[in-house]
Amino acid sequence: MTAVSTPTKIARACWFCGAATDSAHFCAACGKIQALPHDTDYFVFFGLPRKLRIDSADLEKRFHQLSWKLHPDNFARASEQERKFSLQLSSVLNDAYRALRETLSRVEYLLAQAGMRKEGQHKQQAPPELLEEVFELNESLDELREARAAGGGAGETSGMRVKLEAAAKDFEAKLGDVDAELDRISGEWDAAVDAGANEAIRKALMGKMNEVLNRRSYIRNLVNKVTEELAA
Amino acid sequence: MGRTVGIDLGTTNSLVAYVDKESRKPKCIPGPNGSTLCPSVVSLDADGSIVVGERARGRLLTQPERTIYSVKRLMGRGAADVVEELKIFPFRIDPSSGNVIRVRLGERVFTPPEISAFILRELKTWAESYFGETVDKAVITVPAYFNDAQRQATKDAGRLAGLGVLRLVNEPTAAALAYGLHEQRRGLVAVYDFGGGTFDISVLKLISTGEGDIYQVLSTSGDTHLGGDDIDNALQRVVRLEIQAAAGFDVTSKPVAAQELRKALIATKHHLSDTQSAEIRLELPGGKTYVRGISRAEFEKIAEPIVARTMGPVKQALADAHMKPERMEEVVLVGGSTRMPLVRRVVEDYFSRRPHTELNPDEVVALGAAVQANILETGVQDMLLLDVTPLSLGIETMGGVVAKIIPRNSTVPASAQEMFTTGVENQTGIDIHVLQGERELAKDCRSLARFQLKVPPGPAGLARVEVKFLIDANGILQVAARDLRTAEQSSVEVQPSYGLSGAEIEKMLEESIEFAEQDFTERQLIEARTEAETVLRATEKTMAQPEVAIAADERRGIEAGVAALRQAFAGRDYKLIRTRLDELNQATTPLAERIMNRALAAALEGKQLENV
Repeated sequence: MTAVSTPTKIARACWFCGAATDSAHFCAACGKIQALPHDTDYFVFFGLPRKLRIDSADLEKRFHQLSWKLHPDNFARASEQERKFSLQLSSVLNDAYRALRETLSRVEYLLAQAGMRKEGQHKQQAPPELLEEVFELNESLDELREARAAGGGAGETSGMRVKLEAAAKDFEAKLGDVDAELDRISGEWDAAVDAGANEAIRKALMGKMNEVLNRRSYIRNLVNKVTEELAA
Repeated sequence: MGRTVGIDLGTTNSLVAYVDKESRKPKCIPGPNGSTLCPSVVSLDADGSIVVGERARGRLLTQPERTIYSVKRLMGRGAADVVEELKIFPFRIDPSSGNVIRVRLGERVFTPPEISAFILRELKTWAESYFGETVDKAVITVPAYFNDAQRQATKDAGRLAGLGVLRLVNEPTAAALAYGLHEQRRGLVAVYDFGGGTFDISVLKLISTGEGDIYQVLSTSGDTHLGGDDIDNALQRVVRLEIQAAAGFDVTSKPVAAQELRKALIATKHHLSDTQSAEIRLELPGGKTYVRGISRAEFEKIAEPIVARTMGPVKQALADAHMKPERMEEVVLVGGSTRMPLVRRVVEDYFSRRPHTELNPDEVVALGAAVQANILETGVQDMLLLDVTPLSLGIETMGGVVAKIIPRNSTVPASAQEMFTTGVENQTGIDIHVLQGERELAKDCRSLARFQLKVPPGPAGLARVEVKFLIDANGILQVAARDLRTAEQSSVEVQPSYGLSGAEIEKMLEESIEFAEQDFTERQLIEARTEAETVLRATEKTMAQPEVAIAADERRGIEAGVAALRQAFAGRDYKLIRTRLDELNQATTPLAERIMNRALAAALEGKQLENV
């Protein structure tokens, strides 16, 4: 339940003055930097709702503001305890920014946190709707390899290369479609969060996102394979 | 508390700088001969003393077997790493070298951090005589592409030189800092740093925020064994063959002649940055003279393949930052090798933009280090550096494959958690191998450390140990482990694959006599001051007691003694404090005796009463 609910504030006591601090980075009473809660959520860390469409300029601004406050440079003359906390918090800040600033890693993170990121059962299996095209592409790849093994020079393989390049381009375009689909589901997710949708709805959406991610990584691998073969 | 400086510990030259409190501008500190450049050359004198800088450079010609240059190339490397290097550099590697190289100078053997420490100590002395104050902390710059071991070796050198290393700053970042301050620039900046032995390229974003300016590194790449040295060597290969053909001997087989030649070639290289042709002249053993004219075009043909090698990292850094060269709003040249017209041309062509050369390329890195040192020393934070780790961090998994856990160009500090468990029943340890690099197999990456997690025996898979890998703001790895079942922090002894252990450093510190002397003085001072404090407090307390009878002249004597001790206390001369302490003790002895007698009498009285 808690894994997919909106951020909650956890009451904690300041290590220095004992005042309640919630999950803030600094104690409201004495201003001292606080320890990193063990189960820090990246969205919470930035003070953001767990939504997927993030304004990157706003995120960058938050990143810079938090960097000013948390960076070890600010604590060069502080106590050892504060230096330790600064190192922990600023490393998580940087890790969090790395995860949230790109759409893909953001979705991956959300799913992983909820235990919903599952690689395809048969990673090498093509998504059904792409089966035919993947089959063709693999055939072209084999042809090229065989021609090369038989000592075929650039002249003999150029036709195959052109065909492969076109196929790779076609799959690259499919990546764009997949990304658009992911963005659409992200929008649905954000609406569900705003509406306070129930667990079942959220899980269904995450399941869909997981599927899209798997399809995306399949196509990505395929394109990489072709690029490598063409460069060989 | 001593002062803090910024130090550029370079392959060819090293510099020390500080921020002037009044003008608030960074400034390089000159050495005794007026130059701010300290050649990174160290020589061991026959009497056992160490000579550094210009004088040591002179000794390359007279005592090459007792003198070393370009030691930065050996930092954080093992004997097996430098086989190629040894073909071109006259390093005398001792057979005792293993994962830390040991270099022979005359009759003694030193590690690269020890030799670097001599250079740092020299710069520390420059700064101390300039300020008339002790210097005990520093920000030291390192090539951005330095790996963990090379960074750790630099930090060790600082420690061996008696400097607290507040931060290691990447050289191109330091340069950007000095440059940004100077020019008040914002936007996307590429820093091309081609020095004596290392090449770095960094892409930065300079941002103004309400709190101050942020220098955010987006990506960095480089080659820690590519520099002006390589151009000298390429030129030497050509000339060496010509001398062999003409005079019938290999100049590199004779250390003195080889150094004479190197000196002549470097001079020629420098000349050709300003003129279209130059002359190489070398007196050969046996009275002959080798003379050869060389045009800039001919020289550039020799240097071109080396300069071309910088372009691989440049393209990589731009790709990693998701940038095209045209998007860079500024290109900054740093490092002595960027004085070459060829380098300027190559950079200008690639970025379609005239690079900046306004600041002295030799000084700009040290100036940036001074700015960062000032921020850390004063706590006045008006700018912030956000740097990145140049290499991916990974751990070895099944089949020798590396699983990347922190990708390259991650902003530091950066961290990653990994969960480990046991594979067989009653296994008591889990071996972990940490690596740095971009290749897929462990054998192709740089080994950073191996360590074993201790776990209580039990069924396979029962143990759950969470290991946190953290790269700090210096780019140095820290490891912590936690047993998730007991929630206890497990101790992790990380033995660096290439580097000195804590115990070795301790030993070196002890061996350094000069250091020991300084420590001794410091300890004596602390002890004398502590004792003086106790005596002063006791004396004043006694004097203030109304029941203690003190004659007027006795009181005057004690007060004079107190004043004299206070004065000595403010200074740093422990011997003077001791003398004043003795004098005060003498002045208070009669008083102390009277008090003692009274107390004794009172105590005896008390005893007798009790016994009755």
